Amino acid sequence: MASIVIWAETRNGSIRKSTLECIGAARTLEPFQGCERVGVLIGDAACADELSRYGLTSIRVVTGEQLRRFSSEGYAGVLAEITREVKGDIVLLGATALGRDIAGRLAARLDGSLGTDIIAIHPDGDGLLIDRPVYSGKLTARVKLVRKPAVLTLRPNTFPAAEAASGQTPVTQADAVTMTIRATVTQALEAARGVLDVTEASIVVSGGRGVGGAEGFKILESLADTLGAAVGASRAAVDSGWITYSHQVGQTGKVVSPVLYIACGISGAIQHFAGMGSAKFIIAINKDPDAPIMKKADFAIVGDLFKVVPVLAEELRKLRTS
Amino acid sequence: MDIAVVIKQTPDTEARIVPDSGNTKQIVSDGINFILNPYDEFALEEALTITESSGGEVICFAIGPESSEPAMRTALAMGAARGILITDPGAVDADIVTQGKILAAAIRTVNPGLVLCGREWIDVQEDALAAILGEFLDMPHVMNAARITLNGSQVTVNREVEGATFEITSPLPAVVSCQKGLNEPRYPTLIAIRKSKSKELKMMSSADLGLTSIVPASQIVALEAPPPRAQGKLVTGETDQLVAQSLRWLSDEAKLI
Repeated sequence: MASIVIWAETRNGSIRKSTLECIGAARTLEPFQGCERVGVLIGDAACADELSRYGLTSIRVVTGEQLRRFSSEGYAGVLAEITREVKGDIVLLGATALGRDIAGRLAARLDGSLGTDIIAIHPDGDGLLIDRPVYSGKLTARVKLVRKPAVLTLRPNTFPAAEAASGQTPVTQADAVTMTIRATVTQALEAARGVLDVTEASIVVSGGRGVGGAEGFKILESLADTLGAAVGASRAAVDSGWITYSHQVGQTGKVVSPVLYIACGISGAIQHFAGMGSAKFIIAINKDPDAPIMKKADFAIVGDLFKVVPVLAEELRKLRTS
Repeated sequence: MDIAVVIKQTPDTEARIVPDSGNTKQIVSDGINFILNPYDEFALEEALTITESSGGEVICFAIGPESSEPAMRTALAMGAARGILITDPGAVDADIVTQGKILAAAIRTVNPGLVLCGREWIDVQEDALAAILGEFLDMPHVMNAARITLNGSQVTVNREVEGATFEITSPLPAVVSCQKGLNEPRYPTLIAIRKSKSKELKMMSSADLGLTSIVPASQIVALEAPPPRAQGKLVTGETDQLVAQSLRWLSDEAKLI
């Protein structure tokens, strides 16, 4: 029976949603039916109990002094070892910053194939076909994975997250063998508490040239707080210095795929669309009914964002508290 | 210390991209303006700044058809000393893992102290190159550098991960991919553009590098335009009406509240 190895990424003491989406894909997608699902938790056993509730076949916990902090070499090393041992055909990781950092090295080390930022997986005889966006999302490529094992990163918010299953998955713990790890994290600076990254949020409130300045982003932040959303920005807003680059959505920024994207004062250039075109729903607020974003939004509000956004935030707050 | 920079020629970000109806594995390239992959400019600028202050040459590597020469010349005009372009169709059409293996074989011939590339190739939307090169070159790698500091035989890189900044320290040689914000890429001067035409640009094939049989790890079978987003609802009116309609849409259509 074929095996699927799934990297369990943790953050602030819990399993990340992107990992639950990998488990969800492994449990439900047609080509993966009947496969063993091996969860791999690296560096810290604390989340093993949480992970054991999601219907994996087995869980490996690997710890050791060298694995206390993230390193691509160390984590790829552990995953390569386990993939060989269980004769895994597939390795699944979330297409997160760290998942992407591991995947390329792992595919090269296993002499396998690599599929990144995947939005769909189809059976193909006893192989796999994957769909992934290319050319800034202007096209979708269907790719045949020829060589095994296939290392795959799944685009966040695209596959259904696994629900808790009945029963508990058995956990085995092992110490890592000594590895060559050269690039190491020497310092990790967490962003201010409560600041949600645009790639993680299920709702993004984003501002462009029409926001007019750093002050304007305060209005968006207030709406974002109400919705539990992250604040995004277009390149124009970032280049004007109104907000930092880590918020930029688009071709030269981050690619997001939230459930809801609220574009405020953003014209919707093709480069911006490349970063958010796969959002499930798009709301656009713009004074100009002919702005390109208005034709792509599910709900296009012709109006002044400085008037609409504060009232919308206030009404949503009332709904929340009532 | 010599620095290897991997670059690529890609369509302009504004370009309209459609699959070739005769061969849906490829795009229609007529009428497309090709440019140096935007992220590669940050890698080149960083490499040039480092070699200008501490010596060494910047050597560019690329895989692409012979028509990728303009991107190579742009890199040479920015200040790279010479370039190697791998042009055989087996390499050009290969997946990124296989291309990483070929590029690693080419880079090994110059024994660089540092290897830089852009964060992502914007055409195939692949950002895994630094990690793949690291493995094949037996070097450590760091992705998405927002700051690079060299300190003797070590490099320290700042990179963002969701909601945090990591400072990563690595011995050299290492592979680092470069992110926007790292620096402000220079524009080549007219004199530099003229001079770049006589700089060495070597066309090679994978076979020249000893890679005689290229077996792809994965293959594109088709390119397709994603279904267009349907025109949604457009609302106008006074603020109160707009907000009321928005709330109704959020609850009835999107079912989010």
